[in-house]
Amino acid sequence: MRIPTADRIIETRSLTRRFAGKTGLFRATTFVSAVNEVSLEIRRGETFSIVGESGCGKSTLARLLVRLLQPSEGSVLYEGNDISTLSEGDVRRLRKDLQFVFQDPFSSLNPRMTVGALIEEPMRVHTRLSRTERRRKVAELLSKVGLRPAFANRYPHEFSGGQRQRIGIARALASGPKIIVGDEPVSALDVSVQAQVINLLEDLKSEFDLTLILIAHDLAVIRHMSDRVAVMYLGEIVELAPNDALFDKPLHPYTRALMRAIPIASPHGRTMDATLTGDVPSPLAPPSGCRFHPRCPHATDLCSAQKPAATEAGDGRMVACHHWQKIAEIPEVFAQEPPRNQTAAKRFALFRERSQQKEPTTAASK
Amino acid sequence: MPDNPIRTDAPVLDVQNLALRFKGAPANIVDGVSFSVHPGETLCIVGESGCGKSVTALSLMGLLPPQVARIMSGTASFDGRDLLSLGQRQMADLRGNTVSMIFQEPMTSLNPSYRIGDQIAEVALRHRPVSRAAARQRALEMLDRVKIPAAASRLNDYPHELSGGMRQRVMIAMALANDPTLLIADEPTTALDVTIQAQIIDLINDLQKETGTALIMITHDLGVVAEIADRVCVMYAGHIVEDAPVEAIFDDPQHPYTIGLMSSVPSIGPRSGKLATIGGMVPTIERMPSGCRFTPRCPFAQPDCAAATPALAELGPAHGVACHYAPLEATFAEAAS
Repeated sequence: MRIPTADRIIETRSLTRRFAGKTGLFRATTFVSAVNEVSLEIRRGETFSIVGESGCGKSTLARLLVRLLQPSEGSVLYEGNDISTLSEGDVRRLRKDLQFVFQDPFSSLNPRMTVGALIEEPMRVHTRLSRTERRRKVAELLSKVGLRPAFANRYPHEFSGGQRQRIGIARALASGPKIIVGDEPVSALDVSVQAQVINLLEDLKSEFDLTLILIAHDLAVIRHMSDRVAVMYLGEIVELAPNDALFDKPLHPYTRALMRAIPIASPHGRTMDATLTGDVPSPLAPPSGCRFHPRCPHATDLCSAQKPAATEAGDGRMVACHHWQKIAEIPEVFAQEPPRNQTAAKRFALFRERSQQKEPTTAASK
Repeated sequence: MPDNPIRTDAPVLDVQNLALRFKGAPANIVDGVSFSVHPGETLCIVGESGCGKSVTALSLMGLLPPQVARIMSGTASFDGRDLLSLGQRQMADLRGNTVSMIFQEPMTSLNPSYRIGDQIAEVALRHRPVSRAAARQRALEMLDRVKIPAAASRLNDYPHELSGGMRQRVMIAMALANDPTLLIADEPTTALDVTIQAQIIDLINDLQKETGTALIMITHDLGVVAEIADRVCVMYAGHIVEDAPVEAIFDDPQHPYTIGLMSSVPSIGPRSGKLATIGGMVPTIERMPSGCRFTPRCPFAQPDCAAATPALAELGPAHGVACHYAPLEATFAEAAS
């Protein structure tokens, strides 16, 4: 099921990125396909998430989508135009529309620049705003991300992890982007701060009409924030589905194993299932056929011989598995969270109500 | 500190009123903490960065050098002895022997230049009158027990040759080589992917059942807590704010911080609106609030909260809560709709 052209903001066609692996004087250079023939479409205004375990290529894919990396093969279309072959100057102009929020805001903020200068920089490059206008906008952005405008004169090291991530977000917003990619934007943060930043990203997304591309390994964060989710394994997308469908009824055996392995934050939930054994194989020598077959409990000879094609599975879903129809019929318990009892539910409601009354002070206080 | 009514036997470890202070700090980083853990029991200590959970563990292991932090008060009786008053040498005899610890990042805890078989064997050699051959046999046995495939051929591997999950298995093998009565695990699965995390938790669970080791697990992940804990202590800014059996922590959470922490975690179930959040951030040691340290961020805070630190009061069977206003609905019921 294709997304209509007018709604399609990003499209990739057989996108591949290889990195040189081990090199040596007397041996041929080996290559790692970090991303291998990925084709997907992203809808304007949605939150599209990419999930997978370490080394699956999700961060590489995210960087390819906004031309922080150049593809080895295949193409990326932004608003229908191929951006994979643009010159450096054109890429710089493109940066106005496509911004990135990194996992570790500290290493992505120049420590010698004040917060104000950091947020102002994209405006200097991409807009014709006057100095005064830029300053005003810096103050506005700071308060939008829940920080005091007076913080503009301070340096990044003076802030906590959560505040730095807010600064990173303000900077990403400064050029007036259409798309923001967040590469694990909340995973380095403590739980209470993480919740604040999740809410902030959601608010800003609707206020600035953004398309959000989210890379995360935390499945609960993905479930909470996404419209659609792509699951990656060893450089390839094995399943792509609307959020609820993916979590309620995952189709690919890898997705199903992931969903069963999540620990449920309730003593009444199902216990987690550790039956997916072994580690992710080395991307230097990916398995033949379906890359998941050595770990897959349903694998047959076909799986090691032939790579499964991406198949439409109805309701806007895609899955790359030879046996998905048969596997889908196996009853399994995935990631349901049992409801809270009345006493607990009442206290949570009470907390929510009172914390909202207290809200305006969020994070601005220091 | 209430004791679990189910456990009337003597605890393996009983910590009373532990207070720690970093050198030159104006306040205690751990301030009057008490808890106990019984044979075969799993106690989870939950809290965010800086709440004092890891420092507590390090001080129990004798791994906080006196020039870094000072023990201001408290006792930790283990096996009839006070861990906090043992000398360096006595502590070194216990560490890796009857008390062991697993850390978050196995790569930094394993020595990169020694083979893993030798590293595990060394633990046995250090504490037991065994031959080199017997120690090596023990290493092999332990690798088997932590389910490392083809253990015999792995003995000669260096840590960098193993995956993150395998390294954590080696750490567990080392920690359990001398059948400790107490194991402390500090975020042992935080750096791991979810499927590997499931394997490691499963392994820890199985080994604990086999050996009857008491386990203190430090974590921030409430999913892991629900999976593994018998008891839970919730820490905030150096205080234990709630201490309860695992069912009670989830079914009958009392402290506003416990409730806020649980509200902040997105559910794996269908979305139910925006997350309720705790405003502000964890206080720094320089600006530790007086009284209940959660007061400035607590949506229920009253003027007297900053005046006096609430003690853990028993609100249910073996369920202690340090809040002047728990149960919250008794005082703030008007808003519960």
